[in-house]
Amino acid sequence: MDQENDQDLLDEKPPILGSWNQLYLMVLFIHSIILFLFWVFTHSYS
Amino acid sequence: MTIDLIDWLVMIGTMLSIVLYGVWKTRNISSVKGYLLGERDLPWWTIGLSIMATQASAITFLSTPGQAFESGMGFAQFYFGMPIAMVLLSIFFLPIYYKLNVYTAYEYLEGRFNLKTRTITAGLFLLSRGMSAGITIYAPSIILSTLLNWNLFLTNVLIGGVVIIYTVMGGTKAVSVTQKQQMIVILAGMVIAAVIIVFKLPSDVSFSDAVGVAGKMGKLNVVDFTFDLSNRYTFWSGILGGVFLFLSYFGTDQSQVQRYLSGKSLSESRLGLLFNGLIKVPMQFLVLFVGILVFVFFQFVKPPLHFNTANVDQVSQSEYYTDFQDLEKQHEEVFVQKEVEIRNLIQAINSDDETAISSSRAKVESLVEQDKSLQSKADDLILKANPAAETKDQDYVFISFVVNYLPIGLVGLLLAVIFSAAMSSTASELNALATTTVIDIYKRSAVPDQTDHHYLLASKWFTVIWGVLALIFAETASLFENLIQAVNIVGSLFYGVILGIFMVAFFMKWVRGNAVFIAAILGEAVVVGGFIMDKMEILNIGFLWFNLIGCIVVMIFAGIIQIFMNDENKGNQVSPS
Repeated sequence: MDQENDQDLLDEKPPILGSWNQLYLMVLFIHSIILFLFWVFTHSYS
Repeated sequence: MTIDLIDWLVMIGTMLSIVLYGVWKTRNISSVKGYLLGERDLPWWTIGLSIMATQASAITFLSTPGQAFESGMGFAQFYFGMPIAMVLLSIFFLPIYYKLNVYTAYEYLEGRFNLKTRTITAGLFLLSRGMSAGITIYAPSIILSTLLNWNLFLTNVLIGGVVIIYTVMGGTKAVSVTQKQQMIVILAGMVIAAVIIVFKLPSDVSFSDAVGVAGKMGKLNVVDFTFDLSNRYTFWSGILGGVFLFLSYFGTDQSQVQRYLSGKSLSESRLGLLFNGLIKVPMQFLVLFVGILVFVFFQFVKPPLHFNTANVDQVSQSEYYTDFQDLEKQHEEVFVQKEVEIRNLIQAINSDDETAISSSRAKVESLVEQDKSLQSKADDLILKANPAAETKDQDYVFISFVVNYLPIGLVGLLLAVIFSAAMSSTASELNALATTTVIDIYKRSAVPDQTDHHYLLASKWFTVIWGVLALIFAETASLFENLIQAVNIVGSLFYGVILGIFMVAFFMKWVRGNAVFIAAILGEAVVVGGFIMDKMEILNIGFLWFNLIGCIVVMIFAGIIQIFMNDENKGNQVSPS
């Protein structure tokens, strides 16, 4: 029973993108874009 | 310096309405679970804002703009590892905490290792966080009381007293719901401040000109790819050292763990952490950018030679006042010349004339150096007038700008921002300290097998006790300046080792309690040794790297010690036969 509950807990889907791995990748992708924009910002004004 | 009645009303009204809302929302809590875990019903946006508010103390909003004013925007790199840490926590840490249904992060260590490791880790947390709770109150109080001539004792009591009241009454849920409102006030206040500063620039200086000038004066250096262990803020220290620091802070520090353990479900907690990871870096960029705008503003409006008015008052009452006045005159002359050159620089940038840009930039840099030299001489006079004075004045830059140049009403809002930040992080700290004391020490080892009501009362009393201790520490902190530095350093030296213990627990399943216990002691010795060598200038290591070093050393030592213990056990088993 406990194992079933544990599995239910881990099987919860995120509200978007269908899987947690996809959501994590999206977070890291957005972060990479932010870092790239910071790099462009630094270069443009230095 | 005094503030207007309207500002008082805005400040007190904002703070009071948030606190009363928090108390009203949590008026029916009557169990330990409700008090320490908030009935686990919080949605992801409340969790995310609560996590952000816990991390953002008042000093973040006083000191960070000043840091950008002095050294540019490189401090943003400190947070570059945070989204990666949030993803790793969501994958590895959160499912375990949820599966085990724990109240504190340290509970898990007993099941995985032994009671000794749980108690020691909880003790390390109580020691470092207990002392830093006092500083969270004291640090903004000393700045506000110095600049606004408020009584330091009463300012401490105002921040600490209000926090104790609503944290004791409503527990963790009161902390979270007030933090949500406080964070909204903080973000709105900083955005409004940024917009107002842009409007305060001279009419012939556009926003684009302002950014161009800041860039040419070397203030917009957000990303620095050089790999230099001694440089505190680089891309690499942020990404590598930062990941370990934030894994440790968000994954093992109960003041953060408690925020997301009160989530409605594992999904809500994960979303709250990821939301924090995405918002925090741009938010820190905004706070630093406000500092840059203040910097540009003071290129067209003469800044004081020294921002801490208490230090200036002391010099003005000493025999060094004439010398100080001479320096102020020279400072004004340099400012006038610099303003002319900066306008030339703007013209050169707008006409895209590289030769003129280089020429104006060189002249501005030379005048900046002259001004720095005058500031340094002013610091010397301040120290002669009062050898115990703190001459570093960057923490006073932003608040000086706020009270002197922002319109009535907005000053009150920005003061509410600073108070909200102080109260939100202090509330989380007191809540976490009480929870760890009750769950990991009191209920586990000291007074087990009591009723739920008993532990509810104990939780409330321990919140009061930690709150009063933090207040006493804040009230006496001014007597022990070196102690404050020591507390900050001690806290940062523990994080890597605590993370190492948890990493071994999660990823090195074959390592047992005794091995990790010895490894933690050895790891701490290595970190402290490295820190001492850094202070003696034998090594030169930025403090972020100690998180990485502490963690790695504990993992390696734990593995090696366990191998030796296995061999010894085998030897012991073989020899009798």
